[in-house]
Amino acid sequence: MASLYVHIPFCEHKCIYCDFYSIESLDPLESFLTALRKEIAMYAEYSTKETIETIFFGGGTPSLLSPAIIAEILDLCHRTFSVRRDAEITLETNPGTVDRDILAGFRAAGVNRLSFGVQSFHEDDLRFLTRIHSAGQAKENIRNAQKVGFDNISLDLIFALPNQTLARWKENLQQAIVLDTQHISAYSLIVEHGTPLARMVRSKQVSVLPLDTEAELYEFTMACMRDEGFEHYEVSNYAKPGFRSRHNSNYWNHTNYIGFGPSAHSFWMNRRWWNIRSIESYCEKILAGEFPLAGEEHLTSGQYLDEAIMLGLRGEGIHLDRLNARHGIDLVASDQSTIDNLISECLLVHDPPFLRLTDKGYLLCDEISKVLLAHLSVPA
Amino acid sequence: MDSIRNFCIIAHIDHGKSTIADRLLERTGTITEREMKTNQVLDDMELEQERGITIKLHAIQMKYRARDQKEYTLNLIDTPGHVDFSYEVSRSLAACEGAILVVDASQGVEAQTISNLYLAIDAGLEIVPVINKIDLPSAMVDTVKHQIIDLIGCKEEEIILASAKMKIGVDEMLEAVVQRIPAPKGDPNASLKALIFDSIFDGYRGSIVYIRIMDGTLTEKDRVRFFATDKIFAAEEVGVLEMQRIRTKELSAGNVGYLIPGAKDVHDTKVGDTITTADHPADGPLPGYKEAKPMVFAGLYPVNADNFSELRDSLEKLRMNDASLIFEPETSVALGFGFRAGFLGLLHMEIIQERLEREYQQELITTVPNVEYRVVKTNAEVVLVDNPALMPPLGEIEHIEEPFISAQIIAPAEYIGNIMKLCTERRGVYKDTTYIDTTRADLRYELPLADIIFDFYDKLKSTSRGYASLDYEFLEYRESDLVKLDILLNAESVDALSTIVHRDKAYEWGKKLCAKLRKLIPRQMFEVVIQAAIGSKVIARDSISALRKNVLAKCYGGDISRKRKLLEKQKEGKKRMKQVGRVEIPQEAFLAVLAMEED
Repeated sequence: MASLYVHIPFCEHKCIYCDFYSIESLDPLESFLTALRKEIAMYAEYSTKETIETIFFGGGTPSLLSPAIIAEILDLCHRTFSVRRDAEITLETNPGTVDRDILAGFRAAGVNRLSFGVQSFHEDDLRFLTRIHSAGQAKENIRNAQKVGFDNISLDLIFALPNQTLARWKENLQQAIVLDTQHISAYSLIVEHGTPLARMVRSKQVSVLPLDTEAELYEFTMACMRDEGFEHYEVSNYAKPGFRSRHNSNYWNHTNYIGFGPSAHSFWMNRRWWNIRSIESYCEKILAGEFPLAGEEHLTSGQYLDEAIMLGLRGEGIHLDRLNARHGIDLVASDQSTIDNLISECLLVHDPPFLRLTDKGYLLCDEISKVLLAHLSVPA
Repeated sequence: MDSIRNFCIIAHIDHGKSTIADRLLERTGTITEREMKTNQVLDDMELEQERGITIKLHAIQMKYRARDQKEYTLNLIDTPGHVDFSYEVSRSLAACEGAILVVDASQGVEAQTISNLYLAIDAGLEIVPVINKIDLPSAMVDTVKHQIIDLIGCKEEEIILASAKMKIGVDEMLEAVVQRIPAPKGDPNASLKALIFDSIFDGYRGSIVYIRIMDGTLTEKDRVRFFATDKIFAAEEVGVLEMQRIRTKELSAGNVGYLIPGAKDVHDTKVGDTITTADHPADGPLPGYKEAKPMVFAGLYPVNADNFSELRDSLEKLRMNDASLIFEPETSVALGFGFRAGFLGLLHMEIIQERLEREYQQELITTVPNVEYRVVKTNAEVVLVDNPALMPPLGEIEHIEEPFISAQIIAPAEYIGNIMKLCTERRGVYKDTTYIDTTRADLRYELPLADIIFDFYDKLKSTSRGYASLDYEFLEYRESDLVKLDILLNAESVDALSTIVHRDKAYEWGKKLCAKLRKLIPRQMFEVVIQAAIGSKVIARDSISALRKNVLAKCYGGDISRKRKLLEKQKEGKKRMKQVGRVEIPQEAFLAVLAMEED
């Protein structure tokens, strides 16, 4: 079982908070597509090893591409790899780039899951975030998607915006719920290094939300989603039963994946590698017949274990039996008192075979990861 | 022996001792101008150069052809110029017959100059007074001349006017050394008596001792005996100290040089000890000079508990060339295994700390320094307490005595008001004021040492625009109304944060300390209550609210590696924290008291 990721590095406009790699021009589209086709072919040998369970078009703004192009890339994936018939095929969609016909086209091309970047239903929030769409467009296109047959739709929201109140965030969540999507991702705003937002914060044009308010919004989100019948299966992700993102879940349980396109990351066995963050260099390298790598690492068993704990905590919990089978670690026995303390403070629950975070624990997920990693005595 | 002169230079910091030393080396051809890469040769430790003070004394030999056409061997023995190091000055003095007294023409006589001068006079040294920096526009040559005459009762024409920078007065100094300082006395044929005035430790050669031969002759292959340790070694190498060690195979009465005894254990060669030969031993050791008395104590702990024995080795090597450093193992609930070390003063402590970190790559947690208390218990037993955590329980204490020092502060008269205010704040007892000349006052105070070890010197400097100078010496133990102030984190006492303070200051101190700790201890997953208590009575309280949120919203394919690396880094940071109960305490917190005045 493995996954494919395709990075489409084009945006109509780059949002102030985003640090994913993209450019604001479609001029190099043709050379990009040529390179992409070639890159996919370069990984053909992996096709014999695993079947493909999910394909994800991310970006950038993949919905800027026409359904025909998406169909062609998918076709190439099908011809190169053995893609399962029931594969989850997701396209990140900017509500400002599509209409009912285009969505129908994506559907026809084989996309069966859409992830809409909505971010907020408040127009002023959208302006602040420099999104290119209105709240109305977002709602309309989600309904369009439902009408043309998409029955697995996710929408992204961002909370902890500067000056955001709980009341305004509640409105966003309520509007999202009304749209009746199968999946909601709710991210608290990250001020990423090197983004326009980071500069605005540094120059004090914008002040980040106090941590305590952010915590309050996050707590509310977790409770509200649960009440609405969503499963909280990762720090920022909520799904109706049966609609978790299979693709993202694969990232979180160390399933193999290959990423295509500039800046895309890949993971296979214990090797992780990533492509150059430049469309020109990416195309040049591939034209020259080379892998367009910017770096790679081979995980040591210690690093693998650290990731397994960190990702397990972030996700549905650390699968203790699997951890023991893969890494030879009895986590609970290795530091009983630390774990007992975390349990007694209602941060963790031991729900065999899982050790999972409570809502309160999710709020302190990174802190708890640190505690577990620091206390873990790894066999050398 | 008639052609040997052993001397040192006494000067206040910045009065130009090192520059004068360099000029002497240059003039005698010991070093060429070109070789003098940095312009101060004697301060060869990196730290010394940064701080501009000579911490460790060294010795250097020069050859000088004097006006009488005879060639003389001049041994210059360097002395430190900071109040913490008067002990080392006395070590240097014991190896000399004379001293050049340097006074800055624009600054005049300072407290440090006077105290070291008295040490030199007590040791019977011939004093050669020099006024340096006469080229400065602010030079007050006449005023300073009178200060010197008042001080040592010399004749005006005996004072040499110099500017080491402009190379004025260098020959006069050399001539004065040759003519006025007596040649050493001693019998080259008598049994060997050599004084160890310093030593260094070399990773390959073992200990290298710097010696002054008082009587007898030391040759290579002599079997040498160290009186204090009663150990016998073969003299592997003997020589004199120029810019490098120059092997001469022999060293006889009156001269200064080095001996490599092949001692690999740092304990075997003790500074201040006397060396004789095993075959023709002297009847007894030379009179040792005043033992270094540590005045300031602090805990030194490895950040990583695994490095305890490495830290011990490093401390032992440091003690090789710093006899004034003492240490013994101790344990702390908060910090684990470490050492309680005694220092001459706070600067000495900082230097040791920095040398451990830089030269020995030790990562340290240092606790707040304190003085040594005499505790008289209700059963009349007297105990010395150099670690506040070990203070007996309140009920067992009859009274506590603390060390008082007598301080001499010399400053321009206009700052007397500020200085008196500062001394009063520090529980000082005013004794006397005299005037050195019409503008400069000499204030005498008795102060509790505990109140001057932290930042008194800095405060004194800032309150007098840098003009005041300080010297002090131990006076006596006095009964004071002292209490032990404990710090509790979530009701657990942190032994390494206990301090002993005067009762009148305890409340304010406790409040400030709690507030400071609130800033230094990061938010944790639970509320942290900080309390200051005397015995079971809580006198101050503060709290750190629980950390509400720490989770990164996104972690997809491209983020995992970065996120893992960040966590691994934070994990390492967490491992370095010390834990009391469940509260994690960063290293800085253990020095919170020192940082308190900054706010």
